[in-house]
Amino acid sequence: MNRVGIVDVAMTPGVETKDYFLDQVFRVSKEVLDKAGLRREDVSTIVSASSDVFHGGVSCANSYYWDAGAAFLKNGSRQDGESLFAFIYAVMRILTGHHDTALVIGVCKGSENPDDDMLTHFFTDPFYQRQVGLNETVAAALQKREYMDRYGITDEQCAGVVVKNLENALRNPYAHVKKKVSVDDVLTSDVVMDPLKAMECAPKSEGMIAMLLAKEDLAKKLTDKPVWFKGYGSSMDKFYLGDRDLLDGQLGNAAQKAYDTAGIKDPKKEIDVAELCEPYAFQELLWCEDLGFCDRGEGGRLLDSGATARDGEIPVNPSGGVLASNPYVTRGLYRLAEGFLQIRGQAGERQLDRKVHTALAHSTHGFAGQCHAVAIIGS
Amino acid sequence: MGRPVAIIGSAQTNHGRRFDVTYPELVKEAVDAVFENTGISPDDIEGVVSGTMPSMMEGVALTHFYFADVLRSVGKPILKTETCGSTGISLAFTGYYWIASGMADLVLVVGSEKMNEGDSQATMTTVVDPFYQRYFISGAPGVFSMQCQEWSVKIGIPEEKVRAAATRLSIDHHNDAFDNPHAHIKKRLTEEEVNTARIITYPVRLWDVCPNSDGACAMIFASEKMAQKLGKKVAWVKGVGYSGEEYWFGDSEKAIWQCAIDASRQAYDMAGIKNPRKDLDVAEVYNPFTFQELLYYECFGFCNFGEACDLTLKGTFSREGELPCDPSGGTLCTNPIGATGLNRVAEAALQVTGQAGAHQIPGAKLSLAHAMGGVDQFNGVMILGSDK
Repeated sequence: MNRVGIVDVAMTPGVETKDYFLDQVFRVSKEVLDKAGLRREDVSTIVSASSDVFHGGVSCANSYYWDAGAAFLKNGSRQDGESLFAFIYAVMRILTGHHDTALVIGVCKGSENPDDDMLTHFFTDPFYQRQVGLNETVAAALQKREYMDRYGITDEQCAGVVVKNLENALRNPYAHVKKKVSVDDVLTSDVVMDPLKAMECAPKSEGMIAMLLAKEDLAKKLTDKPVWFKGYGSSMDKFYLGDRDLLDGQLGNAAQKAYDTAGIKDPKKEIDVAELCEPYAFQELLWCEDLGFCDRGEGGRLLDSGATARDGEIPVNPSGGVLASNPYVTRGLYRLAEGFLQIRGQAGERQLDRKVHTALAHSTHGFAGQCHAVAIIGS
Repeated sequence: MGRPVAIIGSAQTNHGRRFDVTYPELVKEAVDAVFENTGISPDDIEGVVSGTMPSMMEGVALTHFYFADVLRSVGKPILKTETCGSTGISLAFTGYYWIASGMADLVLVVGSEKMNEGDSQATMTTVVDPFYQRYFISGAPGVFSMQCQEWSVKIGIPEEKVRAAATRLSIDHHNDAFDNPHAHIKKRLTEEEVNTARIITYPVRLWDVCPNSDGACAMIFASEKMAQKLGKKVAWVKGVGYSGEEYWFGDSEKAIWQCAIDASRQAYDMAGIKNPRKDLDVAEVYNPFTFQELLYYECFGFCNFGEACDLTLKGTFSREGELPCDPSGGTLCTNPIGATGLNRVAEAALQVTGQAGAHQIPGAKLSLAHAMGGVDQFNGVMILGSDK
């Protein structure tokens, strides 16, 4: 099979800005093309990710930014809600041979729409769930409670994830939340939805990102250091929480598909860095189990052992993760961009000391991880 | 380019005001039917593509969560493709690229809409930006009326002739719909009824406009290996083309409409079509408004600019004509937006596999399916053939 390479990436920091939406989309699109020495005319196809409910009152979001995102009179498409979907759709488009380059764009201007809890509330069905006020934070609270009850995960361990990730974020110029916090700070922050504390929940951030992909021979021409697409897996879970085991979801299935395509047998050994989507701190521990970094119920002990720290055996979220910056729709593509920068050795102060050959990027959207996507890239 | 891709079957629900089912039940109806029509088991599906209009229309955001169970997507990878009105054809493209890339052999593609539980015109008013355009572009008819006026003035066609040709299309399509078991509006109309119907936005009158329909469409795309294994008559994807243009309506040229021209030419080039009127046997053109269908004949090269009205009045594009267009009654009679473009592909596939029943065009071997979306901004064209 022909290989697909990531040529370069451009992104905005997660902090709220007064910048005009279309300017932001234009700037990241232009920046990534400039880095590759390409003009807009050279790009073959454009696949974007956005979501109308996260889009500040404009429906059919991609109509709005189509030309700002370099797509004028071009063949393109759009994925709703999950930016790793846009990445894999762009990869598919190149693999068919129809397109030699693809620009992947993710747009989410958090500052121009209501709280995520209000928006994720609209994932509910109008008859049963909406009346009880279900949203992503409520679902996560149920999931955390079950995690604590069944496997003895502690509040201190969940707080440990926050301390680790926000410490990492101090080195990341794109992070939204930058402050050094202690376990005590997290434990004494307000209860948002029992047992979740405020500091265990991700902020709401901005995030405009553009990534340029190219087929193998062209990628090698456009950059000295292409990073290759290795594998992808995604999996959907049932809609109603009551139909699911919230601690045995679909991430394991998604990861297995990605590992199989990438030829990975022992993820903990073969993956050099993992960027996970943990909008709620405990989820990083649970996702580590699903990804095979430790056994079921061992996520807390994995963190305690220091294995997921910057200098650990399997560094998780050296960027600070989603707890440090949470542009809902584009957070998956940000995870992939961080993996890309680590492999290229261009992650600046957050660059790991070890040599990074293979990176895993994970994203999730929906209640308690209803849908997961995992991408593997490598040198 | 890529691996050959086949459409091995499709299913459309009945359309109309479907207050007899909930939204997921409507989707389930199409999904269950496509498995029954093709004899394929949901377990064999390797990927699912889902799409609808935006959340404001649905009343539920990110509908792939809500439909996860009825799409039979649990435990499978999913893609959620949305490009406004062109969602249906973009869904078909996603299925096509997924198979052509080699990443799957069997993909289920589903588009759906329950228009009568939402407010389509209010939703479409929010597609335009809140600062400049929203005050004067209300809903879809406003945009398309302006386009019609621009086209007739720029190309220089007398208003009476445009009216006469649009009336002919309206009468024909509402009549054609009687032969399509899934069509929503079926009506025998007279010239006088169409010409004197109430004005929606001048010059568009009631019978020039599509209805709000509830409906869903499901389709299965397969690799050559899988299509051969099943041994059934399939429709092969021969060409795909898509193009989008600027957001600001006033900046845009909508008469000699570049993204419509480009989308069709991309698809023709891939399919080796030189003379579309001669080479194609049938076309399912996205026609939510009669006037727009005329304009598409010209942009798609079915005739020269300025000829569409005369040829329509001569019957060139009618059921018995040289290139029959929308023998299903088209979008004009049935418009569940998130499914509509996929309905066009389903109809085009039925035609080249000889399964279109009462509205079959005899001997059809090469067909065109099309959809449009955005602020009159996106066009997608897919060419299907009976031979690989």
